[in-house]
Amino acid sequence: MTQAIHLRIQNVSKRFGKVQALKNLTLDIPRGSFTTFLGPSGCGKTTLLRAIAGFYEVDQGEIFIGERKINDVPSHLRNAIMVFQDYALFPHMDIRENIIYGLKIKKLPDEEIERRCAKTVQYLGLEGLLQRSPGQISGGQQQRVALARALIMEPEVLLLDEPLSNLDAKLRVNIRAELRQLQKRLGITTIYVTHDQAEALALSDQVAVMNQGEIVQCGSPWEIYFHPGSTFVASFVGTANLLEGRIVENESGRILVEAEGTEIHLEVEESLPAVGSKVILCMRPETIEIVEGTTEERANLIPGQVRNALFEGSHLRYWVEALDREWVVDVFDPANKKIQEGSILLRLPPGKLHIIPETGSQGDIS
Amino acid sequence: MILIIVSLTVFVLYPIFRVFTFPAAFDFLRIPQNPRYLKAILNSLLMTGLSTTTATLFGFLFAYAVTRTDVPLKKTFRFISILPLFSPPFMVAFSYMMMFGKNGLISYQLFGIRLNIFGWHGLWLSETIAFFPIAALVMEGVLQSIAPSLEYAGRNLGATGFKLFRTVTLPLARPGVAGAALLVSIQVLADFGNPIMIAGDFSVLATEAWLRVEGWGDVRGAAVLSSLLLLPSFLLFLVQRYWVRQRSYITVTGKLALVDIQKTRGSIRWLLFGFCTLVSVMILLVYVALILGACVKGWGFDWTPTLQHIQSILSRSPELVHSLTFGLLAGIISAAIAMTAAYLVSRKRFLFRSFVDFTSILPAAIPGIFFGIGYSIAFTRPPFDLYGTAAIMVLSMIFWNISMGYQTGIATFSQISPSIHEAASNLGAGSMKILWEIEAPLIRGSFLSAFVVSFIRAVTTLSVIVFLATQNNRVATFTIMNLVSDGFYGKAAALTTALLVVSFAVLGMAKWIIGKKMELFKVQ
Repeated sequence: MTQAIHLRIQNVSKRFGKVQALKNLTLDIPRGSFTTFLGPSGCGKTTLLRAIAGFYEVDQGEIFIGERKINDVPSHLRNAIMVFQDYALFPHMDIRENIIYGLKIKKLPDEEIERRCAKTVQYLGLEGLLQRSPGQISGGQQQRVALARALIMEPEVLLLDEPLSNLDAKLRVNIRAELRQLQKRLGITTIYVTHDQAEALALSDQVAVMNQGEIVQCGSPWEIYFHPGSTFVASFVGTANLLEGRIVENESGRILVEAEGTEIHLEVEESLPAVGSKVILCMRPETIEIVEGTTEERANLIPGQVRNALFEGSHLRYWVEALDREWVVDVFDPANKKIQEGSILLRLPPGKLHIIPETGSQGDIS
Repeated sequence: MILIIVSLTVFVLYPIFRVFTFPAAFDFLRIPQNPRYLKAILNSLLMTGLSTTTATLFGFLFAYAVTRTDVPLKKTFRFISILPLFSPPFMVAFSYMMMFGKNGLISYQLFGIRLNIFGWHGLWLSETIAFFPIAALVMEGVLQSIAPSLEYAGRNLGATGFKLFRTVTLPLARPGVAGAALLVSIQVLADFGNPIMIAGDFSVLATEAWLRVEGWGDVRGAAVLSSLLLLPSFLLFLVQRYWVRQRSYITVTGKLALVDIQKTRGSIRWLLFGFCTLVSVMILLVYVALILGACVKGWGFDWTPTLQHIQSILSRSPELVHSLTFGLLAGIISAAIAMTAAYLVSRKRFLFRSFVDFTSILPAAIPGIFFGIGYSIAFTRPPFDLYGTAAIMVLSMIFWNISMGYQTGIATFSQISPSIHEAASNLGAGSMKILWEIEAPLIRGSFLSAFVVSFIRAVTTLSVIVFLATQNNRVATFTIMNLVSDGFYGKAAALTTALLVVSFAVLGMAKWIIGKKMELFKVQ
């Protein structure tokens, strides 16, 4: 990503009474990107978003939009417009009045308001709803109206606070795709807050995973998923099988890790801690294979017992006991396979394992 | 269940019915020919318009100041504004008479002006101060339940300060304001205590009805007048209950963001602060006047401190004992009946369900005067002759206040999920067992607050009992009225103070028992 930085957050801290909501956060957000703040509830993601919107004053640190420091700029002059989790549509106005509210306040000429309104309404497919009141339209429509009310302002930065959380599952997936398309088309710098890791992975250019007021990792969805920097990120984003071990050999890309008395080979190109250091192996459920019966190979095979299996349509999910712990293993495209029972072998593909340094194991979720 | 249906019929519906049937149709037809009646009607309407407007306005400003701005001393203001709700309504008029009347402490002693407070202007002032707390309370609830994200959204889109107030806050609060105004207007219309004390010759329907009986022994006339009072009051009540409530924008969302209050512009902040201070001082003056009045020899001419008034009411005062015992009895029974009725209505399906619901709510729409006349017509002659007994006082107090406890009860039962009930019965508990072992602990708080509200309303009411009190069963409020009209201000002040002490003591005890989270007078 070589785009210019659009929004800069520097050493920002915020405290509510005894709770330290944001701890010295620093983050750069490129122009035109889609950035997600992802984290469990209470991690500070909404607080950070509200600080950017200008609803909360930060105790320390600076926030810049472009070259302009906005700490002391009131909310409405920041041109960072927010879509609220509960949409916050004004119940005493109809849809049209809701959408053009901000422009009216700005005292734009009527023709201009009309022009922009028509454009936005068409963009979001809200024709025919304009005379209704917010209570008379569906959740998905309310969501679009909230978006329209923000977009019509032509904001520099669009802020979305869990906008899909009040929609049902199917609709959520559809709107997710639409939202991403819309954002790409408009090229608008967008910040999105969610606790739903699937949403974060699907939508973002950049994901900032937050925990207890800190950004624990920031990177592309790909990095976050396949190269989590800590056990917290590994377990919060997707499902992870974690195994503690020690590097015993590291020669030109061929790595040997010893864990629970078993040797595991890796072929990865990450820079790794020195030989002898403790590490944690992170394996996604879908990368592990289940091998039936016996085989000639010995490498990276671990004997285990199937404890439980769930059929989920696109895949079978197994809970396997091996090396004194429980493993989650997903087998995709299960159509012609039977459900395994009893003793099996787990194969850990050397190229798909990821190593987390021991220092990254702090901040465990429990 | 049958007991409840029968008692509601006999003690709520029957007296109301008697008021309408007691006068002949002829009496009603003669209304337009009686100039005194016409004057009373006109005055009542005038006062309702004036006092409702000011009380609502005061209430709104007050509520806005304490919920939405950062004026200093918010908690103090809030506390003071609640005080009048626990005090007899006539108290305000009585105190202002002492403070601002001809020999008033402030008007004459301080400024040397001989003000004439008797009349519509004095009444206007007293009613505004006496009833604005109701409006403030309702409006605080309304303002607090406006989702904060709406104001954030408005601010984010460019509306600041007054513009935000005008385009978002005010329109959202409007239904609440209407509701509060209606509640206040019902109170003002039915107000008897303030006009009887301070209105002088300016007669309103409630006082005119009393004068009919007191002066001419004309119960029919009183019945006609109070019927005139009932109709608008009932109408206002219906509008408030079924129309305004449906239009409210209150959104109940689980997640409440921390509302952080924006700094209010300096000038507005100080204006609101000044306003709140002024109103609070006006309320506190009421209490100051009473306590002072109880401790000086002769208000207005002899300011020597004395304990004689207090001693005299403590040594021989059956009315205070009556007030306390009647109030306690009425409070407990009223709360018990109200809770049982609420339980039946919210949890059982039976034939007279909507009848019980309606008759339990009904007293809220009935002016005290009307209710009192109803009892005096219905229960002072055979087949129910309770003339001059304690029973008639207690009964009237029980049933006049039943709607308060009933509404609390309904609210409580609707909060206790029926699934709790189902879970218990699923595990084998019988209906009675469920009520006592599962629901009773859950409703204890609201039972106690229903009791406290009923008790306080019972000991502070004047309008309901004014037609029922005699030498034998008189209560404090009745005696105070007589003392004031005979000019014994010292004794009256002492008795009022004692009454206040009693009701605040009961309130304090209840609060201590329930703990912090008692919500009284949750007007809806």
